[in-house]
Amino acid sequence: MDLGGIFDALLTIVSSPYHIFLLLIAVPIGMFFGAIPGLGGKLGIVLAIPFVFGMDATAGALFLIAMHSVVHTGGAVPSILFGVPGTGPDAATIVDGLPMTRNGEAGRALGAAFGASGLGGVIGGLFILAVLPLLRPIVLAFSPAEFFLLALFGITLIAMLSGESLIKGLMVGFLGLMMAFVTLDPQTGTQRYTFDLLFLWDGVDIITAVLGMFAIPEMIALGVAGGSMARADKAAGSYGLGSVFRGIGDVFRHWGLSLRTSLIGCFIGMIPGLGGDAASWICYGHAVQSSKTPERFGEGAVEGVIAPETANNSKEGGSLLPTLFFAVPGSSGMAILLGAFVMLGIQPGPGMALSGMDIVWVLIWGLMLANIIAVIMFILVAPGLGYLSYVRGNLLIPFVLVLTFLGAFLSHRAWENMVLLIFLGALGYFLKKYHWPRPPFVIGLILGPIAEDSFHKSMSLWGPAFLLRPGALIMIGLIVLSIAYYIWGVVKNKKKPEWQHAD
Amino acid sequence: MERLVSMMKKFTALSAIVLLAACGQESVNEADFYTGKDVSYIVATNAGGGYDAYARMIGNYLQKYLAAENVIIRNVPGAGHIVGANTLWRSKPDGLTIGTFNAGLIYGQLTGKDGLNFDLREFEWIGKAAGEPRAIVVSDNCAIKSMADLMAAGEPVKFGSAGIGSASYSDMMLLAKALDLNVNVIAGFDGTEGEMSMMRGEICAILGSTSSFQNFIDAGYGHFILSIGGSLDGVPNAMDLAESEQARKLVAIIDSLATLGRISAAPPGTRKERVEKMRAAYRAALQDPALLAEAGRTGRPIEPAYGDEVRQLVVDALDQTPETIELIRKAINGAQ
Repeated sequence: MDLGGIFDALLTIVSSPYHIFLLLIAVPIGMFFGAIPGLGGKLGIVLAIPFVFGMDATAGALFLIAMHSVVHTGGAVPSILFGVPGTGPDAATIVDGLPMTRNGEAGRALGAAFGASGLGGVIGGLFILAVLPLLRPIVLAFSPAEFFLLALFGITLIAMLSGESLIKGLMVGFLGLMMAFVTLDPQTGTQRYTFDLLFLWDGVDIITAVLGMFAIPEMIALGVAGGSMARADKAAGSYGLGSVFRGIGDVFRHWGLSLRTSLIGCFIGMIPGLGGDAASWICYGHAVQSSKTPERFGEGAVEGVIAPETANNSKEGGSLLPTLFFAVPGSSGMAILLGAFVMLGIQPGPGMALSGMDIVWVLIWGLMLANIIAVIMFILVAPGLGYLSYVRGNLLIPFVLVLTFLGAFLSHRAWENMVLLIFLGALGYFLKKYHWPRPPFVIGLILGPIAEDSFHKSMSLWGPAFLLRPGALIMIGLIVLSIAYYIWGVVKNKKKPEWQHAD
Repeated sequence: MERLVSMMKKFTALSAIVLLAACGQESVNEADFYTGKDVSYIVATNAGGGYDAYARMIGNYLQKYLAAENVIIRNVPGAGHIVGANTLWRSKPDGLTIGTFNAGLIYGQLTGKDGLNFDLREFEWIGKAAGEPRAIVVSDNCAIKSMADLMAAGEPVKFGSAGIGSASYSDMMLLAKALDLNVNVIAGFDGTEGEMSMMRGEICAILGSTSSFQNFIDAGYGHFILSIGGSLDGVPNAMDLAESEQARKLVAIIDSLATLGRISAAPPGTRKERVEKMRAAYRAALQDPALLAEAGRTGRPIEPAYGDEVRQLVVDALDQTPETIELIRKAINGAQ
């Protein structure tokens, strides 16, 4: 590997005030698009393209990658403070981020989210460097057969996320899977549970589902209970810089988890087709699974914030790989970025390794620097953001509800989604009220279509023999281990099989 | 009485003047109707992607040539372009809304698909920006090396296509019917997933637009074996392989839909003068050297056609005998 070239690229960036200036404005723009539900990074890039048009390739690419790579850093903020995910992949952060806010630990949760995002982003960049020589065999190893089993593996995590009752978890999970059937049948093209409504042809919108499951119930509960999001005493100073740094420290205290979930994120990002939603939920599930005290999850466990936040930033590094070297975008956001690169005169594809490595190094540095800058910028504003958790409910609720409805509308530009939001919000409220776990619903909804689509493809390509492919056998082994691990855990804790939730 | 008559005369004269003035005003307004106004450009997909990119590019130049204040892109995605086209259909026909969607909806209208609330013949067609021949690309991992191999295949050859109901899927099913190909069309490969699958050695071939495979071929992963409508060096043309009258008809339909790339239209009943003005601006936009340079840089082919020519292409594509329509329906539903 051309080390001189790698560090020349860094020098090109940091020695130019213009490049630093671009980074400094791209980062807050990217975070803004992440933090407003329904906007998202894709729209950010589309709107930024005209501004980038006149720039040279290095500057333009630097601006776009910086903007794109910190979207989920911003997206964590509303997840943690209000239970409103800024983007789909930030939804998993709600499950523990919001309880932390309620426990008066908003500052710590924000710190953990920023630290995790920053670390994930940097690891994503390093991952590109490490994996470059092995890229082709790894990416090509994942066929629809492995996708199907990976989705199935994710679905088994429902057991981990069920909390006090496996039966309740499974029921909610199956409800999510059933919701995933609302769409056009991918095999025959016929309508399935769409009631002749066109907006359901593309399936239940995931952003709307997450907003309905989490944001609406929280706001109703807040309205009923009165007070502010944080129930703890304001005088505790739980949103000050100290607690933010404590959160960042948590990321490194749980270094094993942070590293693992960052790498899982990179891998999922690198394989086109699975998507960031799957990445952050699978990592959240992994955090619960690998914890010695799984009962703390859902009650404000800091690992529950770290896992999805490392993953949703590190996957951007991973998804840059196929985008640049195969011209096959690793995610829909990358597809837009790919178009923008072409416009800047960068020609992604297998030829990239021969001709354009300079720009690749610039992109990798841009990705890592943007993530670091995002953390620094956020540390400065985090105490202010944390203070929001002490705003009285009657001031906060209207504002958050507007954001929620806007998010549901914008994600698919369909007013019908707002009706769906109310329906799912009511469902979510009763699930919350009667202590049924809500994450399994979202997992079913996200992984159901991936499982279905890849199952059809695998069957058409290989018939049932697809289960005997080497990759598939490894995945099956993982699934069996995961289930066995769960059963072992239950047997071990036979005396106290019920995890008591104070919620 | 006389006073009353005189008053009425005065009133009549006055109203005539007012009316005339209003008419004059109207015609002055009509001449620069678009000046300072906002025009909505409906895109039937989400932001990002080809339709959105073309609309944003063309929108900038439309704004210039209409002297409009803004051309605002409105993304109305859903149900494979149907929601966008339905929205355009019932938009106010005041000349301030146009839209772009996939011409594959012609298949939907021909086969009476659910959910379509429009008649494509009735839209006020503005023009089309692109459209290029379709071709079959085969992966170098595949045993099939030429069209002769494909026609003689004993085992079904695995083809990838986008989702069922998409234009790409319908094109493939029609071609298989027309040339009596022994193929297994596996749907659900969106975007570049099909190319990945070919690189993994799963599916063998894809039917798609020539330019979209250029990267794949330049990288040495595959080559073209059939062209539909266009001409590629050393590659046979589907029309020459079509043996029956019916087969030629099916190939012609695929070709005419391929020609209709990135079409734009206004809602039915839009005033003639405004449609003409929009068409003129669209033509000027697509001939603007700056737009052509931008399109060249971004790898977006420009093959424009305007107004009535596009309308005629749409009308012709929809003008099929009941037998052909039945054939199309059977071909597209073949997988079920």
